[in-house]
Amino acid sequence: MAAVRDNVFPTRMNLTITKTRLKGAETGHSLLKRKSEALTTRFRVIVRKIEDAKLKMGKIMQNASFSLAEVAYITGDISYQVRESAKHATFRVTAKQENVSGVLLPAFERDSATGGSQFELTGLGRGGQQIQKARAVYTRAVEMLVELASLQTAFVVLDEVIKITNRRVNAIEYVIIPRIENTISHINSELDEQDREEFYRLKKIQGKKKDRAKAAAAAQKEADDAPVDDGRHVRDILSEQVDEDIIF
Amino acid sequence: MNEIYFNAYAGYLEGVVRGYRDGLITAPQYLNLTQCETMDDLKLQLATTDYASFLQNEPSPMSTSTLSARCTDALVAEFQYLQQNAAEPISKFLDYITYGYMIDNVILLITGTLHERDTHDLLEKCHPLGFFDTMPALCVATTVQDLYSTVLVDSPLAGYFRECLSAEDLNELNIEIIRNTLHKAYLEDFYAYCQSLGEPTASIMSEILKLEADRRTVNITINSFGTDLSKDDRAKLYPRLGNMYPEAQTRLARVDDVDQVKAILEQYSEYKTILAGVSLGASTGGNDVTLEDRFFVREVQFNKDSFEQQFHYGVFYSWLRLKEQEIRNVVWVAECISQQQKDKINNYTSIY
Repeated sequence: MAAVRDNVFPTRMNLTITKTRLKGAETGHSLLKRKSEALTTRFRVIVRKIEDAKLKMGKIMQNASFSLAEVAYITGDISYQVRESAKHATFRVTAKQENVSGVLLPAFERDSATGGSQFELTGLGRGGQQIQKARAVYTRAVEMLVELASLQTAFVVLDEVIKITNRRVNAIEYVIIPRIENTISHINSELDEQDREEFYRLKKIQGKKKDRAKAAAAAQKEADDAPVDDGRHVRDILSEQVDEDIIF
Repeated sequence: MNEIYFNAYAGYLEGVVRGYRDGLITAPQYLNLTQCETMDDLKLQLATTDYASFLQNEPSPMSTSTLSARCTDALVAEFQYLQQNAAEPISKFLDYITYGYMIDNVILLITGTLHERDTHDLLEKCHPLGFFDTMPALCVATTVQDLYSTVLVDSPLAGYFRECLSAEDLNELNIEIIRNTLHKAYLEDFYAYCQSLGEPTASIMSEILKLEADRRTVNITINSFGTDLSKDDRAKLYPRLGNMYPEAQTRLARVDDVDQVKAILEQYSEYKTILAGVSLGASTGGNDVTLEDRFFVREVQFNKDSFEQQFHYGVFYSWLRLKEQEIRNVVWVAECISQQQKDKINNYTSIY
């Protein structure tokens, strides 16, 4: 890329300003780089956790639906009773935020305050144990789901943020810093150019001045050497002033 | 005297039901079922059983719920055939059998009414065996008060409701308590009715019903731990019959944990074996045997034994129970296959 640079007037003032900008850009670059690294570390951890959770999820869901099959084996269909006796949520999820190097990651957590079940008497006559077991297994499955959801959201958010940060890092590294450097070198070269011009000019003036001084000295010498005018030289006004003929 | 006239009234039906019994899936067939890899294989294996005609029209990816529904259809069809061909007093006996299902259906409708749902949708969910002619009339009731009076007028369960519950109870009590109260009344009534039929029905049915009563007692005790069901209420839900009535029941009503239940049950020789190796309480997965499984085994044994005798009505009840168990088994196997949990596939209760 051929020397893209800011369109600034090459002055010393601008040079100072641009140099400050370069320093700022470099600091920003290193900060962003560190942020990106921190995020990436976090991201890896999350990815690993998601993998684990997903693998576990399959097993847990399988267990859960199987425990439901056990309930069905012993009690038959209880879905309607359970649905109707559920009056308020026994499983609540609270969302909170976690700060990872300036990024707010949403995290979901099971609200521990809630609990208890409304259908604890379901299956009183038969199969109550299986129902409670299925309930416990499904509660665990939902907990797992919440954890997975929390991880997945964090994954998406982090992914986005990491991309943005990396883009910024790269932008600073490959666009902004070279541009500022180009600008600086441009200003420097312009200033040098100006300096040289100035120097040349000064040289020239000095030369001229020397010539002139030399000439003056020579004239002086000549005058000194020439016969001294006694000052009686009278101006002939008439011959000096020739009037134009006035023709009417 | 019973034996002399038995065949005149019930000979045909008994023959039919014994034929049905021979149609039950046998151990080698179960072995074949458990070898299946997919639901289609299972369907193919079931084609050699009594369920064939009910399953043949099902489109190929068959869910376990469909399987369960179709098998129930098969059961219902056979039972209704018995009912249609029955005369007094067998018809009354068969009616008694259906009351248990009716209780569940009415409870379902009550639940719907309590939560102000459209109860017409619920009719489909009702167990077909517990369907009685006036049941759709229950859907007309929109308030619990209405429902109560309608139930009293229109259903065969009127007696149980009148004895046990008032209209206010329907609103206030937990629906499960109502259900268990009704079941208790039903069991006691059925027991009394069976006793009135004379030997040998009385003795055979009393064995089976006592087991049922004991099972309810134990289950209610264990399942009420940790709930807000008071001990007095718990005692009220115990059926007043069974091997554990009344002595053990009064003690069970006072216990607080599973170990005490165990201690009480161990004094009964018939339940000592049931408890051996059983993990009571909240079992934690694995292949452990549950109390329910043991009771199932025992129930199956009793019901099989009732076929050893002739000239009694117990065979009808037994056949129905065995058939139900068989459906549970088939559905269990199907669940295990469809969920690929082959290691638990043998947890069914084999019949023959």
